[in-house]
Amino acid sequence: MLRYGKGDARAFELLYRRHRLPLYRFLLRQVGNAATAEELFQDLWMRVVNSRRSYEVRAKFTSWVYAIAHNRLMDFYRASGRASFLSHEESESVLEGLPAGEIAADLRLDRKRAVERLLAALAGLPDAQREAFLLQQESELSIEEIAAATGVSGETAKSRLRYAVAKLRASLRKES
Amino acid sequence: MTEPRDEELSRIYRDAEGPRPAQRVDDNILAASQRVAGARPRPAGVRFARRWGTPFALAATVVVTFTLTLMVFERESGLDKMAPAATRADRPAKVLQAEPKRAGQPEMESPAVLQPIQPAPPVPQVAAQRDRVQQRPGESAAASKPPGTGQFAPAPEAPRAPEALRRSEGAAPAPAAPASDSQSAPELRQQTPQAPAAAPAAGALSESAAALQGASVAALAANRLAVPEAKERTPEKWLEDIRKLKTEGKATEAERELAEFRKRHPEYRLPEDLR
Repeated sequence: MLRYGKGDARAFELLYRRHRLPLYRFLLRQVGNAATAEELFQDLWMRVVNSRRSYEVRAKFTSWVYAIAHNRLMDFYRASGRASFLSHEESESVLEGLPAGEIAADLRLDRKRAVERLLAALAGLPDAQREAFLLQQESELSIEEIAAATGVSGETAKSRLRYAVAKLRASLRKES
Repeated sequence: MTEPRDEELSRIYRDAEGPRPAQRVDDNILAASQRVAGARPRPAGVRFARRWGTPFALAATVVVTFTLTLMVFERESGLDKMAPAATRADRPAKVLQAEPKRAGQPEMESPAVLQPIQPAPPVPQVAAQRDRVQQRPGESAAASKPPGTGQFAPAPEAPRAPEALRRSEGAAPAPAAPASDSQSAPELRQQTPQAPAAAPAAGALSESAAALQGASVAALAANRLAVPEAKERTPEKWLEDIRKLKTEGKATEAERELAEFRKRHPEYRLPEDLR
């Protein structure tokens, strides 16, 4: 990003090629609509372009760009009236009520069905939990980095991730 | 604070078909990034040059093209005007244009370099009439007509012409007015001292120069006609005729001619045989 800030367009292209698919998937899974996802995606990268001179190395570029994505999503949620992201925090009792266990054996063999099941369960997660799971899967950020990117404490980020994983595993087992 | 990834969930998630952004989105983003990467802040001079360089170049091209076209057009029209004038007054034009070169040449047959030997003899008839019109020998050349007027004005050196004639005709007194080409040419030059400088100028000047040259040619022709008449009426010839009349016994006619001669040339000193 610093090279791009000095006018090296090739540096930007390298960054873009490296992060375009994970970022797009992250946005698409969050909003559930390809057109909206593309709009957000394009807007996100334009913000990156316009920040080329003010960019400072404070964290990984990945953390920085996903923080932009998170903020852009928040704006979108606010604009579309989806307030659940901010208010929905579950208690530990919900987590304790989820059945634990292995993923069903038939789903282990039928990967396609397992994927469909997982994506359906992912779409049903609360926005914050889905975001935590997607950030871990797509950006490969640590809990601390997820917390920093989403502007919450580490504990909150960890909790969201635990809920997301527990719910997803439960959905895979229950169907079997 | 570490939360181990659920590898089994991760594997299933990675098996999902990866959606991709449309190609046009990729193109838009990359094009925008390259556009702004090339638009880095530049010095004010570079920005000014970029902003005004093209308009200024276009304006300069138009001005230069227009100027060149105008120059070519003026040159062509100027040649059109000059060509007839040069044909019309070819010889005088040559004389006028050659004047500055000849001015310093000693071999030039200029009346100004001839020394007067005798007091100015009386000039007969035509020459005398012309002398009445022209300036007196003692007057300054600056008092002559202004140059370039297009009219024939005899030069102040005109009274010295008899000296030149006398020399060329073998010391015989020749009070005739200057009429030869060699004498009139310097006169023309003196009338139009600025003509050579004005000739290369604009078309109007060249036209006036051509008119002046035409008038000079006419004056030359008039001089050529006047030369034999003036020569016929020289006092020496007249006295010779009177002697002939005496010799032939025509005393009355001789006396009448002599009286006429005295009337015409009262200051002329008559020879002993005719007194």
